[in-house]
Amino acid sequence: MIDPVNLQAFGADANTHLAAEHEALMQFLYLSPVGLVQTGVDGEILMINPISAQLLMPLQRDGNLLNLFEALEGVAPELRHLCASFARPNGMICDGLQIHLNHPGYAGGGALRPRRSPQVLSLSLLKLDDTRLMAVLSDVSEQVRRERQLRQNDAWLNALLTSITDYALVGLDREGRICDWNETIGRVTGHTDAVVGSSYAVFYPQDAITAEQVHDRLREADQNGWSLDEGARVRADGSQFWGSAMISPIPDAEFDEPDAPAYCLVLRDISDKRDASETRRKSAFCDHLTGVANRRAFFEAAELELQRNRRKPRPTALVLIDADHFKRINDRHGHPGGDAALRQLGLVLTATFRQVDVVARVGGEEFAVLLPSSTLAGAAAVAERLRQLVQSQRVAFDGTHIDFTVSAGVAASEGGDLDLDMLMKRADQALYAAKAGGRNRIECWNSSMSAPVVRSPGPRDA
Amino acid sequence: MTTATALSFSTPALLEQLAQLNAEQLDQLDFGVIGFDTDTNVCRYNRTESEAAGLTPPRVLGQPLFTNVAPCLNNFMVAQRFEDTEDGNSALDETIDYVLTLRMRPIKVKLRLLAEPGSAVRYVLVQRRL
Repeated sequence: MIDPVNLQAFGADANTHLAAEHEALMQFLYLSPVGLVQTGVDGEILMINPISAQLLMPLQRDGNLLNLFEALEGVAPELRHLCASFARPNGMICDGLQIHLNHPGYAGGGALRPRRSPQVLSLSLLKLDDTRLMAVLSDVSEQVRRERQLRQNDAWLNALLTSITDYALVGLDREGRICDWNETIGRVTGHTDAVVGSSYAVFYPQDAITAEQVHDRLREADQNGWSLDEGARVRADGSQFWGSAMISPIPDAEFDEPDAPAYCLVLRDISDKRDASETRRKSAFCDHLTGVANRRAFFEAAELELQRNRRKPRPTALVLIDADHFKRINDRHGHPGGDAALRQLGLVLTATFRQVDVVARVGGEEFAVLLPSSTLAGAAAVAERLRQLVQSQRVAFDGTHIDFTVSAGVAASEGGDLDLDMLMKRADQALYAAKAGGRNRIECWNSSMSAPVVRSPGPRDA
Repeated sequence: MTTATALSFSTPALLEQLAQLNAEQLDQLDFGVIGFDTDTNVCRYNRTESEAAGLTPPRVLGQPLFTNVAPCLNNFMVAQRFEDTEDGNSALDETIDYVLTLRMRPIKVKLRLLAEPGSAVRYVLVQRRL
């Protein structure tokens, strides 16, 4: 027989033990250096640990954190769609998806990037079953910086080591003009010796490089010893191929002779390799819904352009475009209707802007376009053309059609005077003015807009 | 003299009044109190906060606040405000809406951040919002 008093003592002891165990487990979760979130399939947060709140709270405008999809809407608009279209009963929905945060909405409405802020988050989403998702969040800003460097080194090695069938060897003068003719140029590009004297931009599709960027690459070659660039190239007959081009300065070039070759350009047709690298590039740099660049690609390209800008000042413009009353489209036609409108907007954007412009989806219904070597007035004119096109086109959807309009804010940097944060902030202020002014309109930034506005969740969010 | 129970989350000039309360009086307050010293180690932790978080004081006292106790506050909205206040040798008394992850549940709260130049203890006060 067991003494009942002892049994009670035993029970109390077990309870104490359990409580201590529970507390230790809780603290283990509190202190975990990565964010963990459990949600319902609609993103509703069921359980969440502190690091998640640390990373997500600065993104919230309303001080709440109840739904993971909403919490990330401004920076990862594709999440809801990604989960909805995941057909398997369980499994990894995304693994280490990179979410770029520098956005006017971050830091509570466009303040300059604060010191203690991550720039890139990594998100993995695991579907547990029909009702639950697990998310892992972490700050990967530092890794991304390192990766970017490695990618450049990789491209360089690729350029050197990949077996190639043919290449064109082109001498360029100090201005980037082709200065000699040889057979290899004819074999790869189909040009004749009439091409001598043209800028090497002649190998690019129309609108795919600006005169300033032609010089940027030469300066980069001067500084680094080489400049490497992969992308679409065009032959004399207009047909395109995927090319890899490396420019390097010729040592001891004759500087007193203006026509003497100062650079060597090696241009190779790597179309064979292109499929693999294009698929890789697409999954990492394209918005899955609209096919335009994603935030990651946009911020990388924009930072690069503005860096070059500081070295050699020139105007650069930024347009932020937002679909008007987008919530109403979603309410009336459902998310598939909203998606159709966004796809259409992506197409019109790509067709309206130049190939050298970087068109990207940076938020749910918000797009950004960076226009190298463009003035405020020039960018505003293109934006106005876009606005008219969108207004005049109906989106066929589900037996009916969707009419919608866009508002846009335009800002420009005259030289190297503005950084990306500032440019984004100004374009955002102009966009806000366009929304407040009645929508379906373009506004250019002016200094009267920079007065600090306490932003209510007013016109922008409608 | 003020009694502890007369103090509420929004009482003006709260910092000096908190400083005069002993641990028992602090425990009587109906809002959470976390005090931390110049090295950001937690030196005051009252019952309301302890019960909400599910952590007993021995696990918390003496630990660095922003890394070992409440990493969710280690961003520019909270930690950096205390740092900026210290750098600028100024006072801080601000209330913000926030979400804490008490027992891994998202809980809407108001945070009141208190600091004054030269004060040995700075405070984060926590009150639930509906």
